[in-house]
Amino acid sequence: MRLAYWMYEGTAHHGVARVMNSMRKTHAVFHAPQGDGYVNTIFTMLERTPGFPAMTTSVVSGTDLARGTLRLPETLRQVEAAQHPDLIVVVASCSTILLQENLEIAAHQSGLACEVMVYDANPYRMQETAAAEGLFTELVKKYATSQPLTPMPSVNILGPSSLGFHARHDLISLRRIFKTLGVAVNVVAPWGASVDDLRRLPAAWLTIAPYRELGRLAAEYLEAQFGTAALCDAPIGVQPTLRWLDAVVEQLNTVGARLAVPPSPLKLPPLTEFSLDGMSAPSNVPWFARTADMESFSGKKAFVFGDATHTVGVTKFLADELGMPIAGAGTYLVKEADWVRSQLQGYVSDADFLATDEFQQVADRIGQLRPELVCGTQMERHTGRRYDLNVMVISSPTHIENHLLAYRPFLGFDGADVIADEVSTTCTLGMEKHLIDMFGDAGLELVESPSVPSADPVLVSNGKAAVAPVAVVADVVKPTNGHAPEGQPSNGVASSAGAPTSGQATPAPVVNPVWTADGEAMLKKIPFFVRGRARGNIEKYAREHGIATITAEVLLAAKEHLGA
Amino acid sequence: MPPKAQFTREDGIYHSFCGLVSVGWLYQKIKDSFFLILGTHTCAHLLQNTMGVMIFARPRFAISLLEEADLSSAQPAIADQIAEITREHHPSVIFLLSSCTPEVMKVEFEGLAQSVSTPEVPVLFVPASGLDFTFSQSEDSVLQALIPFCPEAPPDDKRVVFLGSVNDAIADDFLFEASRLGIPVAGFLPANHFHELPPIGPGTIIAPLQPFLAKVANQLTNDRGATVMSSLFPFGPDGCRAFWEDLAAHFDLKVDLSEREAASWARIKEHTDLLKGKKVFLSADTLLELPLARFIRAAGAEVLECSTPYINRRFHARELALLDGVRLVEQANFERQLRSIAEEQPDLVISNIITANPLIGHGVVAKWGTEFIFSPIHGWAGVNTLVSLFTRALRRHARLDPLGNDPVWMAGVMPGAPEIIPLTRG
Ligand code: SF4
Repeated sequence: MRLAYWMYEGTAHHGVARVMNSMRKTHAVFHAPQGDGYVNTIFTMLERTPGFPAMTTSVVSGTDLARGTLRLPETLRQVEAAQHPDLIVVVASCSTILLQENLEIAAHQSGLACEVMVYDANPYRMQETAAAEGLFTELVKKYATSQPLTPMPSVNILGPSSLGFHARHDLISLRRIFKTLGVAVNVVAPWGASVDDLRRLPAAWLTIAPYRELGRLAAEYLEAQFGTAALCDAPIGVQPTLRWLDAVVEQLNTVGARLAVPPSPLKLPPLTEFSLDGMSAPSNVPWFARTADMESFSGKKAFVFGDATHTVGVTKFLADELGMPIAGAGTYLVKEADWVRSQLQGYVSDADFLATDEFQQVADRIGQLRPELVCGTQMERHTGRRYDLNVMVISSPTHIENHLLAYRPFLGFDGADVIADEVSTTCTLGMEKHLIDMFGDAGLELVESPSVPSADPVLVSNGKAAVAPVAVVADVVKPTNGHAPEGQPSNGVASSAGAPTSGQATPAPVVNPVWTADGEAMLKKIPFFVRGRARGNIEKYAREHGIATITAEVLLAAKEHLGA
Repeated sequence: MPPKAQFTREDGIYHSFCGLVSVGWLYQKIKDSFFLILGTHTCAHLLQNTMGVMIFARPRFAISLLEEADLSSAQPAIADQIAEITREHHPSVIFLLSSCTPEVMKVEFEGLAQSVSTPEVPVLFVPASGLDFTFSQSEDSVLQALIPFCPEAPPDDKRVVFLGSVNDAIADDFLFEASRLGIPVAGFLPANHFHELPPIGPGTIIAPLQPFLAKVANQLTNDRGATVMSSLFPFGPDGCRAFWEDLAAHFDLKVDLSEREAASWARIKEHTDLLKGKKVFLSADTLLELPLARFIRAAGAEVLECSTPYINRRFHARELALLDGVRLVEQANFERQLRSIAEEQPDLVISNIITANPLIGHGVVAKWGTEFIFSPIHGWAGVNTLVSLFTRALRRHARLDPLGNDPVWMAGVMPGAPEIIPLTRG
């Protein structure tokens, strides 16, 4: 048993709900106490569903347990009457699974005309992604039917799902790509698919399954069972998208060549055709990354944490396409840790890799690293707030703030632009930083003083600086002249920087160093947007050197030591 | 004998939350408390999603997470966790909440709580599992657990204790109002801090502020001989007048608040004009539904139906008497309600948070019932907030361009439901 505050993954029944709510004419029934219906809210609030999510709780109450009442058959009858689904999937909950009831018999007793499947998702062994992937694979196995291939090249897109991270946007991006290629989309699943659509899966020439978490096992099954070629890479970033496109074309042509009447082979059109207007660069990232302003990114360290697909894709993108150093990476999908680690060979050392589903451990790692950019989940945003770090969300779990209206895919050329934009608007930009660094106080005062509107072009060019006057207005009243108030001793406990506080040879462990007034004043000279991190680094330096009191001198020594 | 109110009970196939959700406001109300839920991943996921916050990296509630290996042990070991909580959060009291899985496992909670309780930091068992408790109901359990820590008041201590958690502004408003009427106040249950609980004895008048506290009220009568006032709940001008006049009567004070009530109605005339004749359908799960329906009816609206998880004939007697003629439903069947909505065409549906967006998607003007729980709607000062919650959705909807109701604007949003047939006509 452990104390848990926040969870990365949802429960098994949430995973089932995601698949059922993605599909047409399917419905999930939870054999569970009333509170377990909370998963409905996640759909209606985050996805703002205009329809009722395809899930119903067949309530189990304490009285029912005492009396031996089983409401499941009646609930199933009502769901069928109201929804007319093709398929109902029944799952037990963390509490009802302990009752060891035979739900198969109960489901059978309800005498429904539609198909009822009792999905054995043990919530103690399975969480959201495993349950979703397991159910979806089972459904594909159940329905996919052998049949002739479509006459012209076609693909299945497996993986987009309700509450999948930016899934709807990714799907638009992929559809745009296939349209440009002149390749038909045979079936998208589970997003918008009916069980009849699952039956048609083997008609496609190729299955693409870009997400490690959902759709991959079904793609592998279709390949093993029906010989449908599978491409399971995620086109995240420009280079991976180009490689992925080549693979799509090659694999489709291989299939085409085997046909009795082979159609003329597919050719990759000019890349400009993939752009929104059909006449521009398909992505602006390669040029953007080469611009002078992006120079400063070569020194900004990033930490990436999320599900498997996005952790791998975004880490490589930052390193390969924006040239950022990677301070560390990891995943909360512990079951995928080995895959993620192997994918990130050469990007992240084993020591800098983190696989845990415990929020606090991730927060601690970020607290130690203090990277310039954190790419994480909703949870890391909170950690970032605590340490005053730049955070962008690259993976579920999300918050309502991540469910924006505009087209924001992560996959394909369009996705590369979205990610790069997010990085550059999240991080503080380059040229501004140099100017503020160089002019120290002056720059800082300009930023902080509410009486000076952002007239300085340096400041208005950057959204971050432009909003800063409001954010840091409280600092203005404090002296920023860098001198300790007259008469206050410049506390000399650590008179020579780096010297231990006591006469001991080894530094005594110092838990929380305190700041003197002159130390604080000096800290104020550091630009506000890096000040939080500087404070952390200097305190860390002090702790490591057994310094209990941080004076201006200690700060300077620390700066030198840290190469700042 | 309470009046024989007419209500029907359906089969409870509706959407709701469990009692754990009360933690969302109780941990903020009792400022030196900690809420530990002995539960599973499900309970943790419920809390983080329904509270919709996730703002605090280390909130004053946590789950003691039961994992597979823990299912076989007779009594879970939580001593280390209690120690960790005490060390890191320094609470004055820890509430140990039950959930469904340990209930099914038959964990002996009273004993478990006692085994880790100390005089410095008592650990109090609070039944809250979804098997038996819905939404706000477990506040009742928390307050029951606090009774032994309320000092015993001598029989001649004749003062009022307000029952139910309200925020400081509302509490101040009630204190002010009581002093204006000459009613002596012993305090609030719960208070802001564990050691500030009010003295309660045979002379105490318990004035319930929330309609979901029937059991603790009953227990205060049984354990301490306190008198529980039977009145309306203090929502709306009508509710406030009855509440204060009845409370004053317990102190042999004859007050007439008819002018006060009239002035209060007059202040919200702009809203009641809008509500007049409007058809309102309440299908929510906060347990505030009965007094809300009574108020909105008094404000001139026609209440088509009021459904709520539980109705208590005695505790809700006065509210029920005023809802005569209204279709009252306990444990409603949601599909039946959708059919009724399609048939009766309400102008406004007070729904729960789960169903609000889909109802709006179906062309219905819907408002979250949950918002009433989280808004300061009590007392004279809350009247404007209360009525505005009802009218805001109506006004906003009237302002939006009706073109937006065309289903084309929802296309692609929900993969499983490409076409939605509106419930409303025209
Ligand atoms: S209904 Fe039971 S299992 Fe579900 S969240 Fe509530 S207490 Fe936990």
